[in-house]
Amino acid sequence: MSAGPRFQPFEILSLGGWVILTLAVLSSLAIAVWPVKKVEGLELWTFAKNHGQLYQQLSVGYNEEARAEGREPVNVFVIDGAALTRRTLSGFWSGTPLADLIEVERNAMPGYVKGPIDDVGFIDLTDRLHGEEIAPGVSIYEGLNEPSFAPWSSRGRIFGLPHDVHPVMLVYRSDLVEAAGIDVTEIETWDDFVRVMGPLQTDLDGDGSTDRWLLDNWFTNYNNLESLILQAGGGTFDADDNLIVDSDANAMVLARMVSWCRGDTRISVDAPDFSASGNQLKLEGKVIAGIMPDWLAGIWKSDLPQLGGKVKLMPLPAWEPGGRRTSVKGGTMIGIPKATREKGGPERFEAAWEVAKHLYLSRELAREVFGSSCIISPVKAFWSEDFYHQPDPFFSGQQIGTRFLELAPSVPFRSSNTYHVFALGRIGQAMAKLYTEAEARGIDDLTQLEARAAELLAVEAEQVREEMSYNVFMQQDQAEAGQGGRVENGGGDE
Amino acid sequence: MLPAPKVSKRRRGGRYSWWAPYVFIGPFVILFLIFTVYPLLYSVVMAMQYNDGPKSTAFVGLTNFKRVLTDPVFWRAMRNTFVFAAASIFIQLPCSLGLALLLNREDIKARGFWRLIFFSPVLVGLAFVAVMFGLIFEKNTGLLNVLLVDGTQWLHGLLPFIPVWDKEFPWLQEWVLTAIIIASFWMYVGFNMVYFLAALQSVSKELLEAAEVDGANAWHRFLNVTIPAIKPVAMFVVLLSFLGSMQLFELPYLLLGPGGGPQNEGLTVVMYLFEYGFNAGNLGYASAVGWILAVILFAFAMLQKVLAGKDGI
Repeated sequence: MSAGPRFQPFEILSLGGWVILTLAVLSSLAIAVWPVKKVEGLELWTFAKNHGQLYQQLSVGYNEEARAEGREPVNVFVIDGAALTRRTLSGFWSGTPLADLIEVERNAMPGYVKGPIDDVGFIDLTDRLHGEEIAPGVSIYEGLNEPSFAPWSSRGRIFGLPHDVHPVMLVYRSDLVEAAGIDVTEIETWDDFVRVMGPLQTDLDGDGSTDRWLLDNWFTNYNNLESLILQAGGGTFDADDNLIVDSDANAMVLARMVSWCRGDTRISVDAPDFSASGNQLKLEGKVIAGIMPDWLAGIWKSDLPQLGGKVKLMPLPAWEPGGRRTSVKGGTMIGIPKATREKGGPERFEAAWEVAKHLYLSRELAREVFGSSCIISPVKAFWSEDFYHQPDPFFSGQQIGTRFLELAPSVPFRSSNTYHVFALGRIGQAMAKLYTEAEARGIDDLTQLEARAAELLAVEAEQVREEMSYNVFMQQDQAEAGQGGRVENGGGDE
Repeated sequence: MLPAPKVSKRRRGGRYSWWAPYVFIGPFVILFLIFTVYPLLYSVVMAMQYNDGPKSTAFVGLTNFKRVLTDPVFWRAMRNTFVFAAASIFIQLPCSLGLALLLNREDIKARGFWRLIFFSPVLVGLAFVAVMFGLIFEKNTGLLNVLLVDGTQWLHGLLPFIPVWDKEFPWLQEWVLTAIIIASFWMYVGFNMVYFLAALQSVSKELLEAAEVDGANAWHRFLNVTIPAIKPVAMFVVLLSFLGSMQLFELPYLLLGPGGGPQNEGLTVVMYLFEYGFNAGNLGYASAVGWILAVILFAFAMLQKVLAGKDGI
């Protein structure tokens, strides 16, 4: 009797094939049986590492109390900004898992409020903000800096608690400025800034080319662009949601910014924040001044400690005598997705709302946030607290909290229109075109630049209008409401 | 002569029944239908809708196609993508072929090592390449500008008519496409070299020797023996390069951001599609862009088939 057929594994698969098959089976089994740690309690997603560290610190005490009282504890997760936006959109559109509370960055917000107002993924907090009190007789809405709500509102409804105010000042190398005998109190306007600081713009190494420039700013810096056009009274949309891309103020700012970047009128250098190149230029003293919102002051302290004691802050030079001496840059809110209420009922929403108020409206958090990142709280009652008015050794002993707070009421309006980011991008494209044309044709005259900027902006404004005209839901909303969205008292439901 | 024995259907094909092949290809067909055919057909429907995310849709007919074809930003993206594709085909591929010819020579020492060196850039991730070249192309302190400034300063010392390089040369602001082409060249020249190397191995040595005996110089041998022999692989590589170039996304997206830099100089068609589809939530518009891109790619593939003739793929 013959033996049965022998099993010849390498006739079925090669050695490599068996290795791959084994790895595939093992990894599948591992994924299937590996225990996944279940998160107990509420989840909070933030994109900012410093926020995350602070919230984790503050949540320790909060969670102990919460457990003792039978409430949900909170778990904080720091997720990269772009990834957080992707996950949030995915959750809103496709129902993938979402946190119970999500921090939202300024430029991400328009994408969340794009469709019909009832389809916005965050819970409408308008009634809560007007109905609940932060102090006796003072509603949460009244107790916070009102302009801080603007970026988080759409069509009369507010979708989050604002985190900040973000007034903007001018930071400058006080060691270099004072050594040159320059008195910054002589500076009221941007023209004064160029004239007074001019002697500091120089060739440091004698090679015939300028090494030290007056201002960290470039025609490609959209964040600075937004701050400067808002300061000038321009922007993307006004408070009534009218498109103002082609405003005279925008044209003026574009012309000035381009003139600062080229030719005989150049005063700017491209020294971007969060880049090795930009930081090196700052440390080497090759840029005298920059545009600084409160949050950037905190970043400089951690990223550029070598500049401690060498810098000071002053109000932004105005565009004209008597003009606005500040602007705004960036912003964060905390919102509660509708999914929180859908998966856990009204109790889960209430628990999340309590966490949001604890984190954003507490004196303890305001003190910690200012201490770690120099960010001013939007809660007006805290503005007189001592911790905002201490001398800061990094800024040569200046009370930077006091200085930022003095400017807080003058912070300009920020649009919450869903096409804000798109429109800002079009303004940026107009500036890039203006720069290219000025370089190619050697245009130095400001009047000519401004006229050409106005033409380019008119074209971009038409692009924005055309883009908006395709939005059938916006057309329907506007037809029903009679006008575009703006921040209003009342309205909305949860 | 005896009649042939009757063999039952069951026995005729061996142990397996008639339905066995369908069972074996069934899983693939089912997955193919679910994950490829259905989405493809549904995207035709979506291309005629306006969306703000998947939940909010409205039928708009052919408006999306009209909007794409009249959007100057789309045509800027298309131009950028075609320029990149042309650079891939007319600059990168000849260099890959040149490298392959060099490394095919038997008198080159440590050929295996050099092949690995040139191929290895393709092994690192695109994200890493984007971050790395972002630092290389920075103004003032970027490696490329620093090297060019130092090099031209030295040359200027010897030959004063040579100007010194501008340390603020704006690679990622005014020379965006050039920067992307350089980064892509570094990454993919070795990859395409491998295809050409494989093709060169198949060139008949006897033919080359015969041509040499007949008095053909190196250039004539290359033109009349090597090129015809590697033509099928070359046409395949050209097609792959073109298709890959037309779908360029990760490198410029990570290097420049969603807008593709100032004046959308680095914006590609797929970036444009991604921006509208996944950032703006207008999946219908993105579907229309996708279909227009698909038609263009199909037309190119057919054109290449015609031009390649019977020797091409």
